[in-house]
Parts: sequence; C-alpha cells; structure tokens
Amino acid sequence: MSGAGARENVFATRMALTNTKQRLKGAQTGHSLLAKKRDALTTRFRAILKKVDEAKRKMGKVMQLASFSMAEVTYATGDVSYLVQEQAKLATFRVKAKQDNVSGVILPAFEVDRVAGSDFNLTGLGRGGQQIMKAKEVYAKAIETLVELASLQTAFTILDEVIRATNRRVNAIEHVIMPRLENTIRYIMSELDEMDREEFFRANMDNPRLKKVQGKKKRDAAAREALQDQLALEEAVDNPPAAVESSIGIDDEESTDLLSGKDADVIF
Amino acid sequence: MGYYSSYYSYGLPTFVIIVIALYLLFTGSGEAFNVGRFLEESSPYAWATTGIGLCIGMSVLGAGWGIFITGSSLLGGGVRAPRITTKNLIRRVFIIFCEVVAIYGVIIGIVYSAKLTAIPSELLFTPENYFTGFAIFWGGLTVGACNMLCGICVGITGATAALADAADPDLFVKILIVEVFGSILGLFGLIVGLIMVGSTGDFKAAPGVAAAAAQAVVSPFVH
Amino acid sequence: MEALFFNVDNGFLEAIVRGYKAGILTQNQYSNLAQCETLEDFRTQLSATDYGNFLANEPLPISTSTIADKATQILVDQFNYLRNNAVQPLAKFLEYITYAYMIDNVVLLITGTLHERDTHELLERCHPLGIFDTMPALCVATNVEELYQSVLVETPLAPYFRDCLSATDLDDLNIEIIRNTVYKAYLEDFYNFCTTLGSPTSDMMHKILEFEADRRTVNITINSFNTELSKEQRAKLFPAIGRLWPEGNNQLARADEMDQVRQACESVSEYRSFFSDVGSAQGNGSGNGYNDLAAASHLEDRFFRMEVHLNKQSFLQQFQYGIFYSYMKLKEQEIRNLTWIAECIAQDAKDRIQDFIPIF
Repeated sequence: MSGAGARENVFATRMALTNTKQRLKGAQTGHSLLAKKRDALTTRFRAILKKVDEAKRKMGKVMQLASFSMAEVTYATGDVSYLVQEQAKLATFRVKAKQDNVSGVILPAFEVDRVAGSDFNLTGLGRGGQQIMKAKEVYAKAIETLVELASLQTAFTILDEVIRATNRRVNAIEHVIMPRLENTIRYIMSELDEMDREEFFRANMDNPRLKKVQGKKKRDAAAREALQDQLALEEAVDNPPAAVESSIGIDDEESTDLLSGKDADVIF
Repeated sequence: MGYYSSYYSYGLPTFVIIVIALYLLFTGSGEAFNVGRFLEESSPYAWATTGIGLCIGMSVLGAGWGIFITGSSLLGGGVRAPRITTKNLIRRVFIIFCEVVAIYGVIIGIVYSAKLTAIPSELLFTPENYFTGFAIFWGGLTVGACNMLCGICVGITGATAALADAADPDLFVKILIVEVFGSILGLFGLIVGLIMVGSTGDFKAAPGVAAAAAQAVVSPFVH
Repeated sequence: MEALFFNVDNGFLEAIVRGYKAGILTQNQYSNLAQCETLEDFRTQLSATDYGNFLANEPLPISTSTIADKATQILVDQFNYLRNNAVQPLAKFLEYITYAYMIDNVVLLITGTLHERDTHELLERCHPLGIFDTMPALCVATNVEELYQSVLVETPLAPYFRDCLSATDLDDLNIEIIRNTVYKAYLEDFYNFCTTLGSPTSDMMHKILEFEADRRTVNITINSFNTELSKEQRAKLFPAIGRLWPEGNNQLARADEMDQVRQACESVSEYRSFFSDVGSAQGNGSGNGYNDLAAASHLEDRFFRMEVHLNKQSFLQQFQYGIFYSYMKLKEQEIRNLTWIAECIAQDAKDRIQDFIPIF
C-alpha cells in the first residue's frame, strides 16, 4: 500500500478498528504523561546539575583548605598520622542513606551524622593540639562536602538513567507506536472502504450500464495481473522470501536506532 | 659534688699549716718563720734566675694557652669557613698576637740573662747584687704575669674574633681592634719590666778589701 | 673562668657548630624561596644555599615530605659528627638532646605494641635522632608488660619510666599522658643536669628549658579544655620548673578557659604579650570555640617565635653548651619552615607562605 509504514497485522474489521483506535488514544495519553514526567525530571536534573557544579567547586576549595590545615599540623607537631590512626576507636563521622521520591524515581540521599566523640583529642597535648583540632574540624567539613557531593552525584546518575529511559519511551511512542497505530487505522479504514465498494459493485453486477466498464476493467486487471506476476517472479528469483522479512527488519532497526540514540543534553 | 672537694682542697692545707705553725710556736722554735733571714740568706742568683724562669715560663704559658684557645676555635671555624685559616696571612693575626706574647717573654729573658755573671759566693752578697737579684725576680714576675694574662686575654678574644670572622668577614677589622688592645697589655708588662731593671747593674763582685766587712754588715745570717 | 678551660675539650666542636649556624638560611634566602613557583624552582634555589645538592638525586615529582626527610637527614649527620667528636660532659649533654626524640620513638613503639601491630615497621617511622642501639630489641616485646621491662632495662629513658609509670599505667593511660609524663621527667632531669654543668651553660639552658616547660604547661592546659583529662591529671603533667612554677602552674591546673590561662601568665612579663589578642577576642563577646582555637594557634606561633628568639640569644654567649641545643632547635625550626614553604608552593597557597618564622 502506498504511504503505509509499518502497521499491525490485523484483519480489517470494524472490531479491530475500534480496538486500534482505543489503543491509539491510550498511546496518546501515555505519551503526554511520559512527556510530563520527562519534563519534571529534566527540571530536577538541571537543578541537581547546578548543585553538583557548585558542590564540586566548593569541594575543591574545602579540600585545599583541609590539606593545608594538615600542613599546619605537620608544621606544629610533625608526623602524627600513626598515633591518630591507632587511637581512633570509633567512627565519629557516619553517613546515613535515605530515600527521596521524585516523580516516581527513587533517589538515594546521604546524610551526615556526627557523633561528638573525642578519640584522639589528647593528641598533640604538649604541642600543636590546637592545630590538630583545627585540622580535624576542617576535614570534617571537607567530608561533609564530599558526602553532599556524593549524594548529588548519585542522584545525578540515577536521574540521568531514568530520563534517558523516559525519553526513549516518549520517542518510541511518538515515532513508532503512534504512527503504526495510525497506519493500522488508515489501513483498516481503507480496507473497509474497499470492501464497501466491492459490496456495492457486486450488488449492481447485473446493471448493464456497468457491464461495459466491467469488461474493460477485467481486461485491464488481467493485463496488470500478468505484469505483476512477471515482476513477482523476477523478484522471487533475485531474492527469495527474505523480502518481506527485511522490510520488517528495517522497521525494527529503525526503532532500535532510536532507542540507542544519545540525547544531546545529557552530560555524562 | 663541689662541696667536699672544695672542703678538702682549701680546708686541709689550711689546717695542716696551722698545726705546723702552732707546733713550731709552742715548741719554742717560732723564729723559724723569719722572713728577713730568708731574704738575706737566699742567693741573689736564685732570685734572678727564678725571675728569668718565671718571666719566660709564664709568658710561654700565656702564649700557649692563648694559641690553644684561639687555635681550637679557629680550626673548628675553619671547617665551614676555610678562608679564616688558609692562605691568608692577615687572618692569622689571631695566632700571631698570642705568639708575640711569648716573644716579649723571650726578649725580657734575654735582657735579664745578660745581667748574670759568674761571681764567687763570698763576694756575692753586696747591696747592688741584692738589688739586681730582687729587681730581676720581680721584673720577671711582672712580665710573666702580664704576658700570661695578656696571652689568655688575646686567646679568648681571638677565639671569639675568629668565630665572628668566620660568620661575617666584614667584622674582621672591627674585632681586630679589640684584639690589638688586648695584645698591648703584654707590651705594658714588657716596658715596665725593662724599666725595672734599667737602673740595675750586672752582678759585680764586692770590692776585695771591704768584702769581709761588708759581708758582716750586709747580713748576719750569711756565713 | 669557663673561657680558660672550655676550649680544651669543646672549642673545636663549638666552632664547628657556629660554622653550621652560619649555614642557617637567612631572611634573604627565605624571601627567594618564597617566590618560587614550583618545587623545581624551590630545589634550584635551595641548592644555592648551604643545603647544596641534597635533593639532586631525587626523582622528579618531589614531595614535601621528601624535602623534610632529606633536610632532617643532613641535620642528623651533622649531629652525629658532633656527637662522635664530643667528650664528657658534652657527650652527655648531646645525649640529653636525643632523649626528647627517644621519648617520641618509644611512645610510638608503645602505641604499636598496645594495638598489637608489627613494631618493626614502626622503626622506619622513628625519628632518626632518637634511635638508640637497643631500639630493635624493644620490638621483640609482644605485650605491654614485656615492653615495660625492656624499656626499663634497655633504654637510657629507664629512670623516667621507672619513676613515673608502672606497667599497668602503660595499659590504662592515654598514650599522650604517658608521653607527657615522661617528657616532664625528662625536662626536669635535663634541667638538673644543666645545673651541674655550671655557669654559663646553666644560665643559657635554664632560660631555654624554663621556657620549654612553660610552653608545655600552657599548651597542655589549653589543649585539655573540654577533654576527659581531669584537672588532677593535668596538674601532674606540668613540669616542676619554669617561670610559671609554682604559683602559675597552680592557677593553670585550675583553669577552665583561655581567660584564666591569660591571668596565670600575667605574672611573667614576657608571656603577657602572647595573650594580648586572646583577651580582645573574648572581649568582642564572640568567645565561641573557633575563636578560641584561632587564638590558641596564634599562641603556638608566638611560642615558636619566642623559642627561636631564646635560641638565637644563646649564640651570643661563647664557651657554653647551650649552642648545641640551640642549634638543633633552630635547625628543626628551619626544616619546619622549609616544609611549610614547600607545602605552600605545592598547594598554591601563596597568601600564607610568609607565615613561617625567619631565624636570622
């Protein structure tokens, strides 16, 4: 059929037409819903992106500050790393994970939980204790920033994944399913029309006014059929039964292409 | 630590001396402490030679001490600043200043030695010879003491100066002044030592006739 | 009088130390170093100084810790040279200097043993000045009791441990408390030893050691605020020497906040200025923990400055042992300075690069 893309393999009945129409409507609703979800996620995504950017810059600064305070400790007391390592008995800095729901997507979020423990607060008692405490504070802040960044980054990755999936769905519905359904509907309509006409023709077979036309039509049809047969024969010789499959295959490929296509606005 | 050692080093000799003195006193021989007799009986030669010996000896002691103090610092300083020891005569003044002190002693020693002449002992005890003997003794002691202190002084300042020079070459000239003044002290001793014996004559034999009479007059203790 | 006989044994070494002292970096060299852009430049600049090519054979990305290690190695070599040439009582004096590092090393080993680590690995982390012949023997000990016994027998620190701590103490007490207890004993012992050496060594050393003791006292006080260290324990850690001792120490033992520390130190005019901005920080009504912390680290800085000042003074007096101690301390400060500058260059923190303490 001319202009017909892929269509579903249905019998052209009124029943099928109704079904297909319903499905088309369903697809349209789904499409708009998914598009909305995509937009919501994208908004969120952009917000997170901005935050990640900020957090990364902040992390750069904070980490620099932290390692500098370490230098201060070295200046004041020398190497205390071993003592500190050995005296730390209990984690005073813990990370708790919780979940956050954004339009049906579950995002993990990390929270800092500081216990005001003091495992090595006597380190540097004779010298440089202040610097050590300061370094501890600064590093705690640095870790806070890191945790914040980690939760943002995780959310970022997950959102990215989800947005891509949603995009894929939206595009699939828009470019594959809906055209196909539309084509099916068009096909069914045209088939039904054809059937109507045939019915009409058969009903008026005895009408002599039409006979002449009929005869001519028959001749034409015979000639066309002969030509078609010949063409079909040649085609069959060239490439046997694959023709049909390949046309389907092409269709599939088109859709997978769409699926695996990259979105331009995704950063990672 | 220091308590007992100082007790023994000062207390014990004092105690022994007091015991001996009291013994002599109470056994009726208190006159053994007779300074005048000692001075008159001891030979002017003894005084003179002791003086010369003290002069040269103490001078050399001072010089040696000074060189040693300076030297050890100089060598140590020279490890990191080789210019203060090697190849540079001017920088060696620290040592030379100390050495000069010994030379003063040698000069005075030679001058004093020139006064010594051989005289038979019965003709020796004249007032002039007593004078020469005592003058040489005390002159020698003066020069010796002066030179010893001068040597130590130059030595210590030299050690400091050497280190200062090692630390900063610009300081050399400024610090040298200090050392020069220290070194001059020895010269004072030398001058005074020379003046002290300036008016003394050589040892001379007593004029023959008066000898016996003079001997009796000069000292009742010399026999 | 000391000038007459000092040089007999020690003149050469003293002059050597003074020669070493001339190699301490000057303000000029520091400002050159501070202008370096990379550690490469830093190395080139350093090679123009007394350090020479000590970093020449290092593989290229030089870390700041390598610089510190190498510089320390130079110091250790110098010190060992002095020590090998020294006679009594200078040899004993130099030994006393190493005790401070020894305490750190032994404490490190104790920490390792307490946590049942392989203490042989720790030997490499020990300060090279504090290494003594029998140290590897300490590693044989597997538990604290054994270690205590071997510390008592094997090390020169034995008297300090015997007098201050028992084997059970090693187990129970915080390692920092042990360290400071031993250090207190060491300071007092060193102080007494210097007294026996007589003037002018004792004059110089008493000044420095008293300051060191005071610094420890003040630091311990400040650092023990808001910790589990009780006031009685704190008082036990204060060395019984120093200009704050005894009444200042008593006040410090009872102190709860910076202001009280300041009051305790009022009595010593030199220390009064240290606390000038501590008072103002509290006067602003802020008085929060961070401000206290900042003030305290300023204090630390001032203590360092004062230490350098005192140690510099000891070079003004010839014919005494103090310069050996002072040289070590000044050189340590210099290594700290170098590390600091290198760290600033490596971390690109040019604004803080001037925060070191120039020596000459």
